[in-house]
This record gives sequence, structure tokens and C-alpha cells, in this order.
Amino acid sequence: MMTGISRMLTGLFALFAFSYAHAAQPADPLESVMWDYTREIFIGDADYRFDTSIKVEVPSFAEDPTQVPITIDARSLKGRIERIVVWADLNPIQHIFNYYPGDRASPKVSLRIKVQQSTAIRAAVRTLNGEWHIGYAQLEAAGGGCTTPSMGNADPYWQSHLGEVKARRFATDDMQGTRFKFRVIHPMDTGLVDAIPEFYLQQVELKGPDGEAVVRMELSPPVSENPVISFDLDDEREGYRLWMRDNGGNEFSRVL
Amino acid sequence: MKKIGRSKGFALTALVAAMSCAGFAQAGITDKDILADQMTTDDVVSNGLGPRAQRYSPLDKLNAETVKELRPVWSFSFGGEKQRGQESQPMVKDGVMYVTGSYSRVFAIDAKTGEELWEYNARLPDGIMPCCDVINRGVALYDDLVIFGTLDAKLVALNKDTGKVVWKKTVADYKEGYSLTAAPLVVKGKIITGVSGGEFGVVGKVEAYDAKTGDLVWTRPTVEGHMGYIWKDGKKIENGISGGKPGETWPGDLWKTGGAATWLGGTYDPDTDLLFFGTGNPAPWNSHLRPGDNLFSSSRLAIDPDTGKIAWHFQTTPHDGWDFDGVNELIAFDYKDGGKTVKAAATADRNGFFYVLNRENGDFIRGFPFVDKITWAEGLDEKGRPIFTKDGRPGNPADAKDGKKGEPVVSAPSFLGGKNWMPMAYSQDTGLFYVPSNEWAMDIWNEPVSYKKGAAYLGAGFTIKPLNEEYIGVLRAIDPKSGKEVWRYKNFAPLWGGVLATKGNLVFTGNPEGYLMAFDAKTGEMLYKFQTGSGIVGSPITWEMDGEQYVSVVSGWGGAVPLWGGEVAKRVKHLNQGGSVWTFKLPKDS
Repeated sequence: MMTGISRMLTGLFALFAFSYAHAAQPADPLESVMWDYTREIFIGDADYRFDTSIKVEVPSFAEDPTQVPITIDARSLKGRIERIVVWADLNPIQHIFNYYPGDRASPKVSLRIKVQQSTAIRAAVRTLNGEWHIGYAQLEAAGGGCTTPSMGNADPYWQSHLGEVKARRFATDDMQGTRFKFRVIHPMDTGLVDAIPEFYLQQVELKGPDGEAVVRMELSPPVSENPVISFDLDDEREGYRLWMRDNGGNEFSRVL
Repeated sequence: MKKIGRSKGFALTALVAAMSCAGFAQAGITDKDILADQMTTDDVVSNGLGPRAQRYSPLDKLNAETVKELRPVWSFSFGGEKQRGQESQPMVKDGVMYVTGSYSRVFAIDAKTGEELWEYNARLPDGIMPCCDVINRGVALYDDLVIFGTLDAKLVALNKDTGKVVWKKTVADYKEGYSLTAAPLVVKGKIITGVSGGEFGVVGKVEAYDAKTGDLVWTRPTVEGHMGYIWKDGKKIENGISGGKPGETWPGDLWKTGGAATWLGGTYDPDTDLLFFGTGNPAPWNSHLRPGDNLFSSSRLAIDPDTGKIAWHFQTTPHDGWDFDGVNELIAFDYKDGGKTVKAAATADRNGFFYVLNRENGDFIRGFPFVDKITWAEGLDEKGRPIFTKDGRPGNPADAKDGKKGEPVVSAPSFLGGKNWMPMAYSQDTGLFYVPSNEWAMDIWNEPVSYKKGAAYLGAGFTIKPLNEEYIGVLRAIDPKSGKEVWRYKNFAPLWGGVLATKGNLVFTGNPEGYLMAFDAKTGEMLYKFQTGSGIVGSPITWEMDGEQYVSVVSGWGGAVPLWGGEVAKRVKHLNQGGSVWTFKLPKDS
């Protein structure tokens, strides 16, 4: 029954897209054929503006489509951020992650992703007053990052090391706070490879010394195998903890 | 992309969730629902159609007269390349079917249309060690959770509407050979599970988990000498050594790796408030290494569901030397004897004997062979203990000249048993048990062996052979009061699927040749059969929806026979694999 309803709704959204939303909204500077479709999915028919103050940093060419480093930097955006939604227009699974900054977070995050082909990468930032600001970049890539079996599939290493974390604390580039960088062992299987079910970290939380969530993320399978993620914080305190949970229900927690 | 939710994004998912809450809100499943399952015909919320697992339905629209009008309404494919043995029993609640597939997969299906609602695929490590195919026998339902056991020995609770993991607990270490394949049992808000792994020298156990949180409540080892524990206010408290102390019925340290896996799960009798779990073979198979009865292997245990204490035990094969792995289900039933109601329970053992026990205290009432040939025992004594045949046991390798291979014997039944895992049914109308059984023998010999963690721990070699050219499988109608066989149906391939009896004077089962079959419960006449496209080794169910009676069964050949079947495997090697649920109904107008 859910499938039936969602089909019906998809149809409804498609109707809206053609009858109303299309004309009034700014055109995509990257001229991606998927813009209207993916925008509809992730921000609905809300108003938005393209905003170059949101930096989406990608390499000039993604040599390895299974490990593409990207950075989303929304520090120069005016206004408090409610969430950042990041996706790749032409990935079979478009959604990459959601990022929710808490009070002491500095809205900059770096990680590695998988891409299936050259694609627009979007970072849609929603401010607390409900505006959508869209950052973007075009990523040139060789193909196949989402449908290649994870390395973990050929090597059973992950099975006995699942969820193991290596983490370091750095100074940030502007010396204003703290940067945490961590790497966690996880195959991050997309479910698009035959006979390998999707298996990926879904939730990541960086908790402050008082147990409060300073940064919260929701990941999708296009985040690379053995994710490497770095967060910036406006905070010098010690006692941070990293907590993660995957779609198999495994939970991992570690003091940083 | 199987899930529409994620690809279509978050706003939509939220909307769908909101709509499903508004339009289809359903109360969660309670203990009461599970206890009443046998009589509530619009759902199937327990393995065995009620905690006693009688596999009897009071539905009678579909009956010996109308069954010829039974017709398929949908078939659902488990998909992928994971088509192995499908031994699941589907569950149905509020128009949704929950069924498991091979390789630890769960599917939620619209019971009207056969359309998938969600699926969950456990990501299994390569190192899983299932002895007998990558099967699963079904889910448990409780509250808004769908709970099942995985091949890497974890219990996983999924939300019934989304298929998302709510909690997950490690029951045992798969690297030591443990796995879970049975459907969990729900009793008084607790998930009760056993473990598989008897071929790897594990220690069998029964455990209870809080159904809502997944917290461990008690653990009861099934090998003499191991300590049980119970958790009170988060504290782990010693709860008595199973059997009192080590070394009573085991020599040396053998009890430490004693097997007795509880791999088939259990049943529950609300009358006596007892769990009944069968226990598997002692490890290793070579019995000369472990003189003694080897408690509690190849036994039935009655366990208190609140405390995890063993109330009584009955051992069917003491000092098992043939892998008569007596896990078979113990089914509570009442019968009249001279006007007096007897609270009995029955089990058809791998070893070829059918036992009727007093379920209040485990006393032996009667026992008799249910297969045509038994070589290893001459009969049962007045306590139900087997009278061993001289030279019926495979020889001790230590007696051989080279010390490497003991004297082989021909033994019937074979180690795959007079009856294996496939559950029998009890009809409250005919008072008969319908027992899926097999006629086969084996050559078996012993070899030296020592325990190594995670390695097969057998110390035996074997090969199975049929006893008859024309058939191996025999579906039998057995009278538990007289021991008489009322009728039999003979099947060319071994029978490996569960049985269902209904008030419509019908008995359903499937065969490896692919047919779902219905028999007249009184005469054994075959009244209906339908080809499902692959072998049936699962258990059929029936329920009612919109005033029509439905029947469902999974189809997908596999299980232990093609892997361990020796000469028998030749009879089944042409059978093709599959993986689907078939659903049939009797249309209103017929």
C-alpha cells in the first residue's frame, strides 16, 4: 500500500512541477537535465536562489569514482543554518548526506563520495528563517562508482573491524576552532551490486562533552567505503564523542 | 533501488508515513493475539498457528468438497541470485504478509496483491557457517516489530511498516559456528530463541530477550555443567548450572563443546506455562569419545518462560551415535482416556520413534516406531528409553587396526532422520498427527577427531541411501493413542516441508517436486495439487481475508537434502532452485 501511495504522490509532484513551479524559479547555471527533478525531491516547490557564497569544492577530475573528496563550506553564508542537503544529480542514488549544525558547529564538512558519472553536485542550505540557498559544482568523473563492488566485498577485513574509528583533532584553516577528522571501517554497500545488500552508515552524531549533538548527519550509500569525514567546530572543549548507526542496526560509539 | 522512499526523497517519505499512520493505523500485536492465534482466523501471528504449534486451522470454507476450486491469486519472487532453500512459514497481519527468504532476508508483502511493501537484507559476513543451507524458517511478530534470526547469529527487530532496524542483538559468535535459522517464539513479551551450530561443537542454549528493547532476560545452556544466568535490574545473576554439575553424563571436558543445539526453536503451552525445546546431537558425532548419556543432548526440555529453569527433560536418544539430533517439535494436545483428559504432548523424533509424553512432568506415556525400519534400537522400555541393538552403533576407530576408521554399520533411519525439521500437524477433528517422514538408511563409520574452534566437529563419515526404489517420503496419519498409521501418502523425493491441517477435513503439504498438495484428512486421498515451479520445503498457512479463505506456501528447493543426501541427492539433482511465495484462495462464488 505504501508503494501505491508513493506512486500516486510522485504523479502529483510531477503535475506540480509542470504546471506551476517550472516558470517562476531561477534556471540552473549548470544546465543539468536533472535539476528540476532532483530539486523537487529534496526541497519540494520552495523558493530558492543559487548562491556562490556556499563553496562546493570538488577535484578537477575524479580519478577514482569510488573515493571523490568533496568539501561543503557554508561559513560565509549569512544567517543561521537549519540543515544542508547534499546530492549528485546523476547518481542512481542521488542523496549523499544531510548535515545539521548545532550551536557550536562551524558549517564546513569534508568527506569522500562515490559518483556514477560526471554530475552536478548540489549543497542546498536551508536557513532557520526558511530560505534555501543552493551551492553547486560540476564534477567530471570516470564512471561506475556506485555499482562497483566495495573493496570490502573482496576482503573480509571489515567483518572483524566493522565500525573501528581512527580520529584526530586539528586546528582549522582559519585557526578559529577545532577540526575533527575521522575514518571508520564500513563497506557502505549501495545495494546496486548483484547479491550484495545495501549496508551503510545512516546516522552520525558528534556529541559535545555535555552529551548535546553538536553536529548531526544522515548519510546515504554514495558516501565512500570506509568513510573519511571532517567537521569544523567553533569550540575548544575536550570530551567529544562520535556515535554512529548503520542500516543493519549496528551502533558504534567512541570518545575522540 | 528497491526502496521508493529514499530515491523519492524525504518530503515524500514523510508524507507517506503520515498517510499510512492516518489511513492504516493498526494496533500492535499483543501476547493475547499470539495466544489466540489458532482461533483467530483472519491472521497468522505465530509460527505453527498458535504457540502449541499444532498447525491446525478451524477454517472450513475450504474443505474436501471445495478444495478443487482453490486457485492461485499471486506469486511473489524473492528475486536476486540468492535462490536457495526456502523453509519459511509466512505470517499475516492486517493485510500484510511477513515472510523470510534464504540468506537472512525479510519481505513485507501486500497480502491482497502480492506487491512488495519493503524488504530487509542482512549484510552477512563471508564467514557464516550454516551446516545445512542458508535457510530461514520465519519471523516472530510482536507489538509493531518483525523479529528474526540471521545466519550470523543475530536477532534483528524491524519496524513492521518500514522494515527499518529498531534493535539488533548478538545471540552468539558466528565465528564459533553459531547461526540462527528458526523462527523465534514470543511468550509473555519475551522473544525466545535457540541457536544452531551442533556440527561445530558449540554449546546449545535457549535465551529470552525483552521483545521491545532486545535486552537479554535469561540464558539457559542445554549442556550439563554450564551455568545459566538471569538479568534483574540490569544485573547478571547466576541462575543454576544446567543439570546440577558438570561431568555426570559426560567424560572429561567433552561437555565444554557438547553441542545439543536448539536449532529448531520451540513451542509454548499456556496450560502448563512451559516452553518446549528440542535439543540436537551431542558433539562430536563419534560417540566413543563421550561415553555416558550426554545430557541434555537429543532431548526435549521443558523450560519455565519466566526464569529459564529446566522443569523437566526427556531424552529420546541417550548417548546418540547416529546424529539423531532430536530437536523435533513437541506439540501439546489433549486427549480423552477413559473419560479423563490427558495433558499430553507428542513428538516424532529423528530416531524413528514417535513419543507421547505427559506434558506436565515429562513422563513417558507411550512410544512406537513411525517409520518402517529401525535398526539401532529394538524398542523402548517402560520409561521410553531405547533398548539398543547389539552392534547397531558404528564401531570405535580405536578398535581398528590403523586406528583411523571404525567398523561401519548400516543404520536406519539415516542421520537426516525418520523426520527432520519439517513440522507435523495435529487435527483437533480427527485426533491424528500428520507426520512428514522419510524412509532411508545410511552407512556410517567413526573417525578420530579433536575440537577446533569454528571447524566441523564430527568424527564420522556417512552416506545416505533410499530404502525403496519407488519412494523416500511418506506423509503419515498417525493415531497418538494407538500408534496406528491410519493412512500414508508415498512421495518419490524425500519430504522436507511442513504440514497444515484444517477443520475442512484437509491436510496440506508440499513436496520437492514442486507440488502443493491437499489430502482428505480421514482417508489420505489426494484432492488437489498445484505445481509451484520449484520444490516446496516450507510450511503452508491458511487465513481468511474479506470473507475468502487463503492458503500460502513458499516455494524454493534446497535445505539439507541436496547438500548431505549422498545417493539420495541423485534423486533430487534435477530439481531446480527458486524462491517465491504462492498465495491461493477459494473465490467467494465457488
